[in-house]
Amino acid sequence: MYVSPIREPLIKGSKDYSQVTKDILAPMAGKPSKYWYMGITLAGSAALFGAWATFMTVYYGIGTWGLNKTIGWAWDITNFVWWVGIGHAGTFISAILLLFRQRWRTSINRSAEAMTLMAIACAGFFPLIHMGRLLLGFFILPYPNTRDLWVNFNSPLLWDVFAITTYLLVSLIFWYIGLIPDLGTVRDKATNKIRKAIYGFLSFGWTGSARHWSRHETVSLILAGLAAPLVLSVHTIVSFDFATSVIPGWHTTIFPPYFVSGAVFSGFAMVLTLLIVARKALNLEDYITVGHIENMNKVIIITGSIVGIAYITEFFIAWYSGVEYEMYAFINRATGPYAWAYWIMMTCNVITPQLFWFKKIRTNLVATFIISIFVNIGMWFERFVIVVTSLHRDYLPSSWTMYKPTIVEVGLYVGTLGVFFTLFLLFIRVFPVIAIAEVKSVLKATGENKKDHHHE
Amino acid sequence: MNKYITAFYNDEEDLLKGLKQIKAKGVNVADVLSPFPVHGLDTVLGLKRSKLTRVAFTGGAIGALLGFGFQAWVFTKAYPLNFGGKPFLSVPSFMPVTFELAVLFAAFSMVFAFLIHNKLGPGAKTVIHDERITDDRFLLVINLDEDDDPHSIEDVLAEAGAHGITLKKQN
Amino acid sequence: MEKKYFKSIEELRIDTSRENDIHAAGDKFYILDAQREALTLPSTTRRDFLKAFGFTIASAAVATSCEQPVRKAIPFLIQPEGIIPGKASYYASTFYDGIDYCSVLVKVRDGRPIKIEGNSLSSVTKGGTNARTQASVLNLYDNARHKNPSKNGSEISWEQLDSEVIAKIREASSSNKKIVILTSSVISPSTNAAINDFASAFAGTELVTYDAFPASGMLDANESSFGVPFIPSYRFDKADLIVSFDADFLGSWLSPVEYTKQYIVNRKLVDGQRKMSRHIHFEGAMSLTGSNADYRVQLRPSHQKMVLAQLLSELRQQSGSATPGLGDASNDVKELAKNLMQHKGKSLVVCGSNSRDEQLLVNEINQILGNYGATIETDIQLKTRQGLNHRVTRLVEEMNAGKVGALIIMDVNPLYDYPQAAQFAQGLQKVGMSIALNVISDETSAATTFVGPDHHYLEAWNDAEVKTGFYSLSQPAIRPIFNTRSAQESLLKWSGNNTDFRSYIKAYWQKNLFAADNSYLSFESFWNAKLHDGVFESGRKETVAVAYTADAVNKVLASLAGKTMADSIDLVLYTNVGVGTGKHANNPWLQELPDPVTKACWDNYVMISPRLAEELNISDEQLVTINDSITLPAIIQPGQEYKTLAVALGYGRQNTGVPANGVGQNAYPLLGSEAGNISFYIAGVALSPQNSSYPVARTQSHHSLEGRELLRETTLEEYLENPQAGNEAHFEAEHHKKSMYPKVEFDGMHWGMAIDMNACTGCNACVVACSSENNVPVVGKEQVLASREMHWIRIDRYYNGDINDPEVVRQPVMCQHCDNAPCENVCPVAATTHSNEGINQMAYNRCIGTRYCANNCPYKVRRFNFLDYTGADSFKGNRMDPTEMTTDLRRLVLNPDVTIRAKGVIEKCSFCVQRIQEKKLVAKTENRELRDGEIVPACAQACAAEAIVFGNLNDKNSKVSRYFASERNYHLLEEVHTLPSVGYLTKVKNKSV
Repeated sequence: MYVSPIREPLIKGSKDYSQVTKDILAPMAGKPSKYWYMGITLAGSAALFGAWATFMTVYYGIGTWGLNKTIGWAWDITNFVWWVGIGHAGTFISAILLLFRQRWRTSINRSAEAMTLMAIACAGFFPLIHMGRLLLGFFILPYPNTRDLWVNFNSPLLWDVFAITTYLLVSLIFWYIGLIPDLGTVRDKATNKIRKAIYGFLSFGWTGSARHWSRHETVSLILAGLAAPLVLSVHTIVSFDFATSVIPGWHTTIFPPYFVSGAVFSGFAMVLTLLIVARKALNLEDYITVGHIENMNKVIIITGSIVGIAYITEFFIAWYSGVEYEMYAFINRATGPYAWAYWIMMTCNVITPQLFWFKKIRTNLVATFIISIFVNIGMWFERFVIVVTSLHRDYLPSSWTMYKPTIVEVGLYVGTLGVFFTLFLLFIRVFPVIAIAEVKSVLKATGENKKDHHHE
Repeated sequence: MNKYITAFYNDEEDLLKGLKQIKAKGVNVADVLSPFPVHGLDTVLGLKRSKLTRVAFTGGAIGALLGFGFQAWVFTKAYPLNFGGKPFLSVPSFMPVTFELAVLFAAFSMVFAFLIHNKLGPGAKTVIHDERITDDRFLLVINLDEDDDPHSIEDVLAEAGAHGITLKKQN
Repeated sequence: MEKKYFKSIEELRIDTSRENDIHAAGDKFYILDAQREALTLPSTTRRDFLKAFGFTIASAAVATSCEQPVRKAIPFLIQPEGIIPGKASYYASTFYDGIDYCSVLVKVRDGRPIKIEGNSLSSVTKGGTNARTQASVLNLYDNARHKNPSKNGSEISWEQLDSEVIAKIREASSSNKKIVILTSSVISPSTNAAINDFASAFAGTELVTYDAFPASGMLDANESSFGVPFIPSYRFDKADLIVSFDADFLGSWLSPVEYTKQYIVNRKLVDGQRKMSRHIHFEGAMSLTGSNADYRVQLRPSHQKMVLAQLLSELRQQSGSATPGLGDASNDVKELAKNLMQHKGKSLVVCGSNSRDEQLLVNEINQILGNYGATIETDIQLKTRQGLNHRVTRLVEEMNAGKVGALIIMDVNPLYDYPQAAQFAQGLQKVGMSIALNVISDETSAATTFVGPDHHYLEAWNDAEVKTGFYSLSQPAIRPIFNTRSAQESLLKWSGNNTDFRSYIKAYWQKNLFAADNSYLSFESFWNAKLHDGVFESGRKETVAVAYTADAVNKVLASLAGKTMADSIDLVLYTNVGVGTGKHANNPWLQELPDPVTKACWDNYVMISPRLAEELNISDEQLVTINDSITLPAIIQPGQEYKTLAVALGYGRQNTGVPANGVGQNAYPLLGSEAGNISFYIAGVALSPQNSSYPVARTQSHHSLEGRELLRETTLEEYLENPQAGNEAHFEAEHHKKSMYPKVEFDGMHWGMAIDMNACTGCNACVVACSSENNVPVVGKEQVLASREMHWIRIDRYYNGDINDPEVVRQPVMCQHCDNAPCENVCPVAATTHSNEGINQMAYNRCIGTRYCANNCPYKVRRFNFLDYTGADSFKGNRMDPTEMTTDLRRLVLNPDVTIRAKGVIEKCSFCVQRIQEKKLVAKTENRELRDGEIVPACAQACAAEAIVFGNLNDKNSKVSRYFASERNYHLLEEVHTLPSVGYLTKVKNKSV
């Protein structure tokens, strides 16, 4: 089979199939490194901080936050949207890139999907904790009850419930279906009995039969076909929370595309942040190559630019509409008391990603890492700007107020970060971080050398 | 008690080449076990296209109907309420939930169908012929009838460059 | 056909007689249908049995399945007469606390007074109330009330107290020492009689009237001008031109409720009225009344006397006679004089100053304008201010000289609100026996030997003559909660008369007032009628002839000759509409009431003009010290006169309840005096900024309309030309109104509310009334600082124009009950929906507190229970109640018709749905349609300005529909197409000269 010399190989180094298996399973074998222990301690204590904040919120009430009569949402929904956004990369990579037959996805989709699941879990936490009466949160489910009360299907918040749950479940099975053959590999490579038993159970008795494989491919393809519109719908619906309201700065029809591209933008940034560290720590440089990083950076340039255009469009439309409340809302963003937040957002989301036009920066890991962090920050502030600066000065000047976060709110945010990284660290210990079978299937086509036949 | 022969290749290209020869010799290959999906294999083995697509479609359709129907029932029959001056049957509002349920049902119905059809599932009991088929081996399984002569088939396999040809019994 | 059994003829009648109108009325009268069914059916049918059976099983299941929290419920063993559980009864009564007078109805539920409403039968207050009157019911349940008689702080029995006190009094009178009764102006004829009895029983008894907020300057002035010290009855309703010199007659001056009622008569441009009075206001500090004026002229208090003199001399010149030697009057004054001359007999000049000289000048001004007998009645006099300052000064001297043997203090608090409280305290040491008959523990009752607690007015019998011939009665609405005794009864007892005060009043009325009304055969029927009405207007007039003499005023003018106006920084000391003189400082509702001008609560502060603040570079909320005696945060107040500071009295209470203690600083010691009269301003104060600051809790932090057409106003001229003036945007919006959905039609009722912004003065009575009616929690300063106040109705106050001399506009905002309510769409659990009567309703039990509705409300009227303010939360130990509003005693004020909201729940104005339901049921049982104006929400009921109108929008003849039809009507943010059920009438100012 011929490998075109101009294209960078996706997998570096001369590898045969068993080598691939060894390399990818390596992080799961043996004792974790001391860095791993340090990491999980750090993440774990952050999670504990979050637990304390959760207790404070539930016991004393939302009054422990910085909200007031005018600003009903701030960090809670900001974090919610931020996490949902991050949760978009995984499914985007494995679904949409699969449909577009982008082979480079195979090295990153597994970890990206896992990240999606964790991010969605963190995201889902905020709509719950932001309820004034968390213990009655189950009211939000349409369950039959004696009062014959149902939920309000006009409410975007309810749409969120359905969208997020569906997205979580579908992403989960999509991820797991992809995982089954590799779990089979783990099972067969396992040396001790218990391990073999556990993975045997988890691998659903995978045999690698040709029939199974062909069906497996069909399922993956259709799941991708379902997940692709789903991933677009989720952030669209999240954006409805704002778009369907009447608050200037929220009531904006371009929100759906703007939010989705923003989500992919932040998602890829987070994937980069994690993988740049992971590939080094797990010595998977040959699998997650600079080529992969560069491809992701290209996605970041595009989505970042879309977001940038959206920002400018918002301003134009506000002016063009001639609605004074609308105009004021946006002038207030750029020049009001929260202008600093707005300009952080602008710098991080619109300016920094443009550096990726230079191949030097695009292919430089350190630069990429730093910029990916910037994007994460910028996207957080985007949501903060939308939520808070729109609310704090809306229609009636008599009700204008300011917002300042409290330690409890910080705790909840840091807490979810802690949970997120804890889960990721556990993930790299118990599951293959790269889709082994998928890598093998593209190894030949894109590997550096054609492996010799007669090794035994 | 039925007998069968297993043999393996170390490379999918050799596998495909060999497989063609074996088939030409009229040997019926029951199954091929591989660490990853080998393209062209299903045509050689003559596998039919999977019907899972239809399952997915049906599931999706049911989900959509259920979703819309339920919302419509709640808002017009069960407990009609005036929300912000909207009509009881405010169709646009029902779309998101309808869509989400469609996707949910489609995905799950299909995955369950897949598992059931393959007899796979948590703790499913299956025969592991060779622990390396999930690593780097491509294994052929050839079932033998009473009148088959194992040796002739073993020769065919050997000719086709297959390794580790072994005759196994399954009770 | 089975037999029908009936218990009484009535039942039979109901059964037969109403057949027809039942059919006519369709399904409206299902109650009657049910009755008929009950009568026609046999006593128990199979269905009934099954119902009962089902219920038993169900309730048994409920009772056993889930554990119910234990709640004490004490049933009536014998049901008291006249009390129907769950049904409110109303008693007419009179609120008078030495400052405000108001004839009221007391709403009593299950033996608890829970709400005060205005008594429309009184032609003085005409059913109006003010914030303090509304809040007075909470004082009944004040945690700081005296619960027992006590001696030096330790509890004793009444018998012991009586014997000891009587002994001391005897001792005093035998040793020819004075026995002084110190009280605020007594307007109760019976009390006066009782005091006289006491005086005749003990030689050397003296009555000293001490008003914390006196008008002794006016009394003196009138004595000099007319020979009698009196306060006339003003008639703002008869005046076309009202000129006020620093008289806050809508807020705190003399009789604000009465004056508001009169004032709005000529301010409302509805139902075809096109005439409107003009109101010109001179003042230094921005006041409630000043901010409502058509013209507001800034005048430093220390310049007021000269300006009045100039005005007077102008008037004299224009009317022939001349006064020499006064500085040249400014054009304003000349113009004003001309203007006044054009309105002879139809104008009214009032002055809020307590300076005799200024009042003398004003007297002659009104004399020249011929206002006496026209807009000022001298034969009907106001009795609520009788205190002469020099009399109190003398008392203090006598006390210090040890001439006072016994001091009986009747519910006044000089140790707090007397400027020289220290001297008073010293004097008190030298008094043989001191006893305070105060209701609530305070600085004074902490210093007296004895405390013989008086009833709260809702527990007591009393009567009043607020103005000559205008009598009213107080009757108990509840048995005394604590071991207290009516102050009058105490006096009677000590003077050897053991009758209870009720029979004493009755006797007095029989003797002195029964004659005045010959429409009753027996006194009993007269008495019962008056007790029921609460008021009796005998038509009595003062007989003393008043003749004007100008000698005194000429002296004043002479003294002013050649004087110039000093350039100094003046400090004005005022009382606000909340805690007022501080007597009610222990009332959380009043403490949390945002000041109508500054929108600040829970503190007093120094109002300073933007210009002066800039010069001295004082920033908002920076601490400043005045005359090295009092340090307060500064608030930069637009419209404040350049060199006028203002500080509210009534703060800095000690030795009283939790909410009041240490809130703000006591400014009474700053009060100066002029010719023996306390003066409520001091000229030439020293102002030293500190380099620290202090946060002031304000419910509104942004004061500009940002050019938004939220609050539409116009001038009378333009309005008369084109009634739509200033309201063009409304018709624009109407023109563009489009919707993709059909508009929801409400058959039957569609409730709506109209607010006349021309009438609304911003007095805040509605805010307290709403809190009282709807159990709105009080959250305390910290939470208000965090912008979490819970008020369901607020009064937005905006400035426009020059920051140094802005126009002030106000707008009451409550839930607009939008027919396209943005809040309803977004609630995921359907906790807020639209009723089929157009009400935006909240199901508190269903609310999970996502706050999405609050975010999506363009009017920001939804309030969230951020913490456990009410103690209704299921967790223990997380209550947030800094003002002690949830003690068992305070809780007695709660309205059982309104749910207490738990932590984490959204709440908001409900159009007082409980009142709507109540009246609907009344109408149903009386088998009739609702009458327009029958349903009155708490805010509308409280409003002295009649600015709030409520009713059925489907009834085209209802008052609210007429308001909606007016060209002045518009809706807040109507361009957002929320279709509010609340309408606003444009504000019209009478600017034309």
